[in-house]
Amino acid sequence: MVVKTLSPMAVQARADILEFELVNHPLDCPVCDKGGECPLQDFTFRHGYPTSRIDGPRLHFKKPIPLSENIALDRERCVLCYRCTRYYDEVAWEQELTVGQRGVQSFITSQFDQPLQSIFSGNIIDLCPVGALTSRVWRFESRPWDMTHTESICSKCAVGCNVNLWQRRGQLVRVTSRENDDIDEGWICDRGRFDYTDVNDPSRLRTPRINGAKATWADALATVSTGIKGKGAKLGISLPKDITNEEAFLFKRLLDGPLRGARVKMHGRTALPAPIAATLRIKDLDAARVIVIVASDTESDVPIVNLRIKKAASKRGARLIVIHPDGVDLDRDPNTIHIRNAPGSAAAEVRKLASHRLLKSAGGPIAILYGDGLGSEEMADLAKSCRDLADAVGGNVMPLYRATNERGAIEAGVAGWDPLDGIEALLSWGPPPTAGIPTSVKFMAAWDHLPRPENEKADVLLPATTFAQRQGSYTNLEGTVQFLRPPIEVVPPLKESWEVLVELGAALGLTLDYAGIFAIQRDAAAAIPALAALAQPPSPEPAPEPVLIGPAHP
Amino acid sequence: MSTKGTSDAKDAENGASKGPSDAKRAESPHGTNALPEHVLEEIRELPARYPQHRSAVMPALDLAQEEVGYLTPEAMSEVAAALDLDPGYVEGVATFYTLFHLQPIGRHRFYVCTNLSCSLRGSSEIVEHVKKAIGVREAGEVSKDGLFSYEEVECLGACEYAPMMRLDHEYYYDLTPETITALVVERRAPLSAAAKASRRRTPVAAPDKAPPKKRVPRTKKIG
Repeated sequence: MVVKTLSPMAVQARADILEFELVNHPLDCPVCDKGGECPLQDFTFRHGYPTSRIDGPRLHFKKPIPLSENIALDRERCVLCYRCTRYYDEVAWEQELTVGQRGVQSFITSQFDQPLQSIFSGNIIDLCPVGALTSRVWRFESRPWDMTHTESICSKCAVGCNVNLWQRRGQLVRVTSRENDDIDEGWICDRGRFDYTDVNDPSRLRTPRINGAKATWADALATVSTGIKGKGAKLGISLPKDITNEEAFLFKRLLDGPLRGARVKMHGRTALPAPIAATLRIKDLDAARVIVIVASDTESDVPIVNLRIKKAASKRGARLIVIHPDGVDLDRDPNTIHIRNAPGSAAAEVRKLASHRLLKSAGGPIAILYGDGLGSEEMADLAKSCRDLADAVGGNVMPLYRATNERGAIEAGVAGWDPLDGIEALLSWGPPPTAGIPTSVKFMAAWDHLPRPENEKADVLLPATTFAQRQGSYTNLEGTVQFLRPPIEVVPPLKESWEVLVELGAALGLTLDYAGIFAIQRDAAAAIPALAALAQPPSPEPAPEPVLIGPAHP
Repeated sequence: MSTKGTSDAKDAENGASKGPSDAKRAESPHGTNALPEHVLEEIRELPARYPQHRSAVMPALDLAQEEVGYLTPEAMSEVAAALDLDPGYVEGVATFYTLFHLQPIGRHRFYVCTNLSCSLRGSSEIVEHVKKAIGVREAGEVSKDGLFSYEEVECLGACEYAPMMRLDHEYYYDLTPETITALVVERRAPLSAAAKASRRRTPVAAPDKAPPKKRVPRTKKIG
């Protein structure tokens, strides 16, 4: 069969359809956020008639309508393609976005005009082929052609979704998804898409301070090293959840050297042990016949893995077995088997599953996903029971880490979850410890990008970079190493985090002889087998934008 | 829906939760008690009649509308909860069909056919007369006493008696302005119990022409 897409007849047919599409579409491209990346605009540019034969009135609606805090709906621009409602129904398994009325009067509406609640709502902005669904966070901020973007990795959780970070004049103005079929399939969650305004906060820390007074980096780091040196177990260190592999590698050198014995607590750490053998890949979920999800509400822990599970169930016919004390959104599949365990007893329930008829005759691969039940489960036991079950029924496991680079930090040996009670000195890297600052602390150094009430007590305050400025890499929950491509420059007096760690090492008397991130990556690749991918970072240039090719007007 | 901790996986399968069970979804955005328990009970029995349980949404909405008069968000939420569906889905269905009303309507509804046959036989004058008789300006508006509203509808399948209309659950044929006036006057007047009972069964016909008891097929039977 030969399909001709550029024959005069095909071009004419597209032009004719476009004429219908434009019957009610407003001509507000100059003020539309979609302008410049709008498929309807592109097609009209290539095929459309220069004048309209329609002289009747167009449909009018009240606009824009806020669909949620983050999304605005313009019903006049909508061409009723139903991509958004179909996505909501089939991919996200939600019904809160529907079509109201019928025929020519149809419009997109949210359930009883209530704000959208789903954590997956932002994807409808990317899906919309016209400017009907736009981001309220980015509304009227800039045009697509006066931003530049880099291909980076989301820093909010351990899934490691690929994103484009868009900057304009040194501000991070937009985050969009970037399709990687092995990981995210082009979806990102609302946390990744909308939670970035802290990057542009005007009150961001830029200069080191000692007791509130501006200081040089050298003085500040000297004070920090005096405060934390030789404290042993009296020193507590709080690590951010999005520590990069490179930072973790350097930090491990400090922990093995001058800071030996310090107690380390990583933000968002799940207490899942290091993976014993090769674990399941996210893309392998597609082929699974049975997926067992233990002690994790995947919707909030690992949102995009949750979408993969839904896809496996609704499109590929996989059966789901959920072990969780509460209702989860995967229950919406009527075939889901939900075993409601008492908190802490997940491992016992997993052991009972070995004789389950679904797992005995699965007829294909079995995937076993386990989280930590927000700390309610005995993790070593649960991990072992899941591994045993996988061995018994012939499946594989996927530990659902929660902190962004938890797996990388585990491989590097810095992902501690020691209690910080009774420490005398505290190095608070990233947000302050979730349990609060222990009262026993006499010296506190904070390394953060925002001024926070907790940081006011710090003796030394060091400014930190954000995910939009940091070079390095994350290891996601399946073990894939992916590289960050920061769109925003690090402007002095801010310093790259690896540089700060090297200088802190020098102040503590440890020589870390690195002049750039590549040397660190080469050394980390050689030292840690799981980080071997660091030896060959891909080109930082973004892939070229696809260009719509087609003849001009019919 | 099993809410207790189950020890046996097989038991758990039998009692597996179906449809929405997480707190976010079960929680209706509105209050409860728009529909009395006996109506909800009737709605819960509907899905058994259909291959897919969501097909029950139409008769369920019908029951809710009979009860409340029109479909309020609360009523739709309760229908959704009773059928294990999302309120958004139920709302989408309710807005699709013109015979589901989302706004208050009159206790008696005129559905006047304005399709081809009725139009040729003067249904536009009938519509004008209905408007005048019940005192409203446009379709869907409720008369001041709350008794009447009217709608123009497409073919109701009784072209041979055009112009015709449906008033509540009855068809009225060969309409004249006088028929309309009589119907309105009759419904405005306080009724005796006997009259109420009889009204349901006897359609009022045009004075000069009684409606045939049985429809006469006008085409030849094929085959």
